[in-house]
Amino acid sequence: MTTDRNVDPEPPEPNADSDRTLDSDRISDASAFLSALRLSDSFLPVGGYTASYGLEQYINEDRIEDGDDLRELIAAYLRRVVGPCETVALANAHAASAAGDLEALLAVDERLHAVTMPREFRESSTKAGAKLCELLAETDTKDGAEGSDETESDGSDLESAFADAVAADETPCHYPVAFGVVAQARGLSRREACLAHAHSFVTGLLGAAQRLGRFGHTEIQSALAALEPAITAVCERHVDDEPDAMVSFAPLAEIMGMRHERAGRRLFMS
Amino acid sequence: MGYRDVAKVGLGGPVGSGKTALVKRLVPELVERDYEVGVIANDIMTQEDADVFRESFAELLPEDLVEGVETGACPHTGIREDPSMNLAAVDEFTERHPELDVVLIESGGDNLAATFNPELADYFLFVISVAEGEDIPRKRGPGVTQADLLVVNKTDLAPHVDADLDVIEADAGEVRGDDPFVFTNCKDAEGVDAVLEHVEREVLFA
Repeated sequence: MTTDRNVDPEPPEPNADSDRTLDSDRISDASAFLSALRLSDSFLPVGGYTASYGLEQYINEDRIEDGDDLRELIAAYLRRVVGPCETVALANAHAASAAGDLEALLAVDERLHAVTMPREFRESSTKAGAKLCELLAETDTKDGAEGSDETESDGSDLESAFADAVAADETPCHYPVAFGVVAQARGLSRREACLAHAHSFVTGLLGAAQRLGRFGHTEIQSALAALEPAITAVCERHVDDEPDAMVSFAPLAEIMGMRHERAGRRLFMS
Repeated sequence: MGYRDVAKVGLGGPVGSGKTALVKRLVPELVERDYEVGVIANDIMTQEDADVFRESFAELLPEDLVEGVETGACPHTGIREDPSMNLAAVDEFTERHPELDVVLIESGGDNLAATFNPELADYFLFVISVAEGEDIPRKRGPGVTQADLLVVNKTDLAPHVDADLDVIEADAGEVRGDDPFVFTNCKDAEGVDAVLEHVEREVLFA
């Protein structure tokens, strides 16, 4: 039943994974794998189903006629927004989290805020980010934290420090940034976290398209399958980018996002 | 301050059953009774709808206590599986108005299976219309059976749509057991006092 792809030619050295950010591509343990599934699942209650990131407006303006148009558009989102912008933010948030560097983390969040132009894109992203932090702060109890809140909530725990900064309105809390923080804390490698996020972005947009545009379920799954190489490629390309490489260049998507604010029909928040 | 610090009343029910009409009747009465009220409407679809909605409360509520929330063509998800965007809107209300007493959250029109997440609504009204068929209660949809209060609206239309209010009353009594239901005609404000009484007793005095 084992395929060649899954065979690990050389078992890892004991203690070789002391630094997860430099770890191999393999998902290192079941818990991290399940966290990746949980974080990329539309079941995660952070409002992802209310965001279309301009897609609703493309459909309002009859700019998407078939599955090919949809696939090409989402591939462009991957190349122009998810990769060079969100993946860079996520990867650097993950690195900052691994290093326990709150200042670097907040700088990543601020930069992503600055390069995300349409107001509704920022709102969808920051609302979901805040809800993710809020949710996990309530649901996920760290080992040994029970009954010792005082000692566990100090500044050394970056996830809780970030959640505190969010609660105090000190940082916008964009979703990819929050995602990087919580994914790192749950053992996902930086690359795995980027892949999980890019996958969930794509399924979110495909789901929005299906609800808005009468696409069949097999057509949507075909688009998802066809987009897999693009998901992998943009994550590979941008996972090691520095924060100052973060950039978004998708003028039409941004215009669609801005027109959506005053659209004749609005089923989505963005 | 956050969504946990304010009473939240959810109004669900099928399209056209009179949820908005009931909200428009409840708000002035609650304001009259000195409650500070916020209103969230899901899926008002267009900016024009949003403007009309806001204007209807212009004399009663501050503009920043009337909000529309889009639910991505999933009205039931917005109130049940993932109410996070509604809760975010409540959070914004309580941040701006710490003295807020109650938020009315009107769901987008949905089917008979829609129920409110108990973390989103402390009290859940399910509004149906007699014009949708006298058999609605006996279908035993989760909205009809699980709501804290079932509101049967548009009683004035019963004779015009061959709906027998006695049948509806008997069926509602049977499927609801000891749980309450009321008849209303929101157009003429009939029965609204009974709804208010339930809301005040179960939510605001609780």
